[in-house]
Amino acid sequence: MYLLDATQQAFLRLAGGDRELWTIVWVSLRVSLLALALATPFAIATGFWIASHRFAGRRFAIVALQGLLSFPTVVVGLILYLLLSRSGPLGPWHLLFTQDAMIIGQAVIAFPVLAAFTLAAVAGADPRLRETAVSLGAGPLRSALTSLYEVRFAVIAGVLNGFGRVISEVGCSMMVGGNIAGLTRNIPTAIALETSKGDFAQGIALGTVLMFFAFVVVALLAVIQEERKPQ
Amino acid sequence: MSPIVSISRAVKSYGGRGLLDVGALELGRGDLIVLSGDNGSGKTTFLKIVAGLEHADVLHMRCNGFEADRRRYPRELRRQIVYVHQHPYLFNTSIAANIHYGLKLRDVDERERERRVRDAIGWAGVEHLQSVLPAKLSGGEKQRVALARAKVLEPRVLLVDEPTASLDAQARAQVIELLQRTATGDNCVVVACHDKELLELPGAKRWHLDRGRIDA
Repeated sequence: MYLLDATQQAFLRLAGGDRELWTIVWVSLRVSLLALALATPFAIATGFWIASHRFAGRRFAIVALQGLLSFPTVVVGLILYLLLSRSGPLGPWHLLFTQDAMIIGQAVIAFPVLAAFTLAAVAGADPRLRETAVSLGAGPLRSALTSLYEVRFAVIAGVLNGFGRVISEVGCSMMVGGNIAGLTRNIPTAIALETSKGDFAQGIALGTVLMFFAFVVVALLAVIQEERKPQ
Repeated sequence: MSPIVSISRAVKSYGGRGLLDVGALELGRGDLIVLSGDNGSGKTTFLKIVAGLEHADVLHMRCNGFEADRRRYPRELRRQIVYVHQHPYLFNTSIAANIHYGLKLRDVDERERERRVRDAIGWAGVEHLQSVLPAKLSGGEKQRVALARAKVLEPRVLLVDEPTASLDAQARAQVIELLQRTATGDNCVVVACHDKELLELPGAKRWHLDRGRIDA
């Protein structure tokens, strides 16, 4: 029966506007959206550049990018922790256990997802696309922007996938954020903590919010898939 | 009268196999040049080299005071020479936005742009297709939109690759008429094709590409 009671409690907290709960949700959203905003321009530029240029080591770059897709988030957290800790090279920046550290970590995690999606989209685009833009007078930057605009749905799908990955990751956030209440406690780290404390209601409430985000992402991806179909 | 384009040499090879080796060609004002040749003879390669879309091993070309070689293809030339694919790529937006594209790049003022796009849509006879997305257009309709998109830029040289391939009789007739109307006055049109009707167009110059050489 405790499961039913906990679920009932969870929905009461969600409906009742529990301040602690909604602060955790806010921290999660803020960190993940800022991480995406930080990673997206660099990742799209990298994916586009690799897709549209022939250079020594290109194959290695593609394999490395694909390998990073499955890089454990806790290892990203470990590396970032070592860099940001007091005795690390970036220690003087005093970023460890702050939202900024979490944003950097999640941006690192999102980067390969966004870059790989962009790379696949641009590499798979019709070669006549770039030629058409150039022949109509576009310079290198404008033809790149036109190409990205033409494959925009695939790039947006990459951004949504990146959001899905960072909003639910726990390893990196726990290590570089420290799970500090009201500051760096986000949904995944809070679920881990509340469950270990036996407060299942809070865990279920936060899990419900996380599943809602996942549902929104899946729904948006479905809409995009529909848009991408030839008219 | 000086020609619009003079090509003193253009050489291209793939994997050690010579594909193209042409020289002493001129595109004059008002010329409609029909370039024939077998499949794989290098017609598309030749057009793309002239349009600056493909690198040549050797290139000496002059157009309107600007010189292009194998390393350098001046931006001003891109503004004067436009290439249209055999199966044109239309951007995934409206027909009007497709035609606006090159004009925006040339910083044409908005009112003037609107007027020229409206004229081009009328010229190509695609007024009734304005609400249709490019993916839904037939081959002939896409070809007409692509020609309008190129013509609106008033290029000195229009290079068109197999424009009537796989079109039905009515669409072919429409495209051929548009090409004839384009080659006038200060510009010229080069059409690569196999189409007998185009090859026998009155007033057109015939070039034949064989084993990498052009018989002008």
